[in-house]
Amino acid sequence: MVMKNAKDVYPVSPPKFQKNFGGSNGVHFWQVDHKIKSIFEAEGIIILPSPEAWKKYNWTRHYFDRKPKEGYFIWVKKQVDFPLLTCITTASPKVSQDLTNLLVIEKALKIKANVICNADKKNLCARHKAQGKLVLKDNAILEYNHIHKWGEKDFVSPDYEFILGENSHLLYTYKNLFPPQNLELNTTIFSGKNSSSNLNLTINGLDSKIRIKDTLFLKKEKAKGVVRLRLVGRENSQIVAHSSIVATAPSKGHLDCQGLLIGKNSKISLIPELICQNKKAQITHEASIGRISEEQLNYLRMRGLREQEAIDLIVAGFLKT
Amino acid sequence: MSKLLEVKNLKVRANDKEILKGINLQIKKGEVQALLGPNGAGKSVLSQAILGNPKYKVTQGKIFFRGKEITKFYPEKRVKLGIAIAWQTPPVIKGVKLSQLLEKISQKKFEIPDGEHLLEREINLDFSGGEKKLSELLQVLSLNPKLVILDEIDSGLDLKRVEKVAKIIKKELIQKKVSVLLITHWGQILDYLKPDLVNVILDGKIICKEKDFKKVLKVIKKYGYEKCKRCLPR
Repeated sequence: MVMKNAKDVYPVSPPKFQKNFGGSNGVHFWQVDHKIKSIFEAEGIIILPSPEAWKKYNWTRHYFDRKPKEGYFIWVKKQVDFPLLTCITTASPKVSQDLTNLLVIEKALKIKANVICNADKKNLCARHKAQGKLVLKDNAILEYNHIHKWGEKDFVSPDYEFILGENSHLLYTYKNLFPPQNLELNTTIFSGKNSSSNLNLTINGLDSKIRIKDTLFLKKEKAKGVVRLRLVGRENSQIVAHSSIVATAPSKGHLDCQGLLIGKNSKISLIPELICQNKKAQITHEASIGRISEEQLNYLRMRGLREQEAIDLIVAGFLKT
Repeated sequence: MSKLLEVKNLKVRANDKEILKGINLQIKKGEVQALLGPNGAGKSVLSQAILGNPKYKVTQGKIFFRGKEITKFYPEKRVKLGIAIAWQTPPVIKGVKLSQLLEKISQKKFEIPDGEHLLEREINLDFSGGEKKLSELLQVLSLNPKLVILDEIDSGLDLKRVEKVAKIIKKELIQKKVSVLLITHWGQILDYLKPDLVNVILDGKIICKEKDFKKVLKVIKKYGYEKCKRCLPR
């Protein structure tokens, strides 16, 4: 049963996340395993489980590639002054989620969304598959913060598409606080005319296999986009990142991919790709993989930090640049 | 005055080359000493070896601090005991603000005149020569040390800035009886800080110890370190 007002059943939303990411209105969509724990609607926002949206709004079928099994549909029709918060959790051993999410931001709205996907325990061996479409209508602005925190045996494969309308602006930040055993992260951005997008992916590898594929399509005039990848390879991690910009219109794009290899038995493969099919387009890239500088490490140790503290500080700094 | 730092017959190698060839040095509590020498004499290597930089291998000799042998201690342990160093050329730490580092290391809150604007900048990124020195001093003072090694704290500064830095050192270290080892190859700052003892290092060895710093400066200014070579044992 879907509760329209979570306060009746869950007076407090997931506390760890609400504190860090939520607004005063709590979690707007919260699912644990396959069960929807709460839906919290506010004025101007329609929130439904995706299968219900498929039935209720024919137009959503244009965005859903197939009939959804589970997931959320959020349609923001009016300006709101709080961040949207969604939380998808795995809590049972070997649970396998297959989510289809759709977020639609109407014209000229400025919205912030905090999207959390996490495992309740470290050793669930769960699967989390999520296919998402995020639609920004003309002049809309979306700040989308995507936070992952997984268990060490989980398999996770999010596949997100951002469809940007004219003059719209996207700021997308992805962070994995704890990596799963296997992560396949696909992100595609279709830029609208005079739109801008800023994609920031921060990936931590630890005892994990990670494949990242992101593509920024600049197919409309004056579209702009920057893709920024920061990859940290800790112990026993294999990271492959294939980052592309495809420009077919007079547009501008830049790829900035940097890796830091700090653990044993780890490997980072960076594949930046620029495809330009318009002579008025300008696309550039920079890519590098390095290790922690001994000089920086010794400098911080001579300020009294232990070796691991110094490494953590350098890595935190690297992820911010 | 009780002995704070004692370096005994210290030999240090870096990249298979012997840099320090038997250094002996003693610094007492509250004492200000200077270490003078030309480029490449081993001044910075000595300071880094005292702090335990793993880049430099001690092949012989011992270092004592407050009566305890610290030759094999990690750098962070030496800092905890009360040794601090201001680097000559500190590295850039991208993405980390100076205020963040100070928050982690500070033993006491400390402010430096005109240093406020550095706090929200990334450590040493695009710092001018003078800003680097201020940042180093700020970090060192925040550690509340018992011995401070200032490696070329006056290099690259004009006279006005040397005076400013010297004033801070005098007020916050010397007057508070913190021991100071002042490394310089120019010596200008000594006029302000008036060390109790000057050591001259040449080719990895301390070849001269003299209480009258003016006398040493006069000789070096007039004849250069070449004259000091005559003091080397043949």
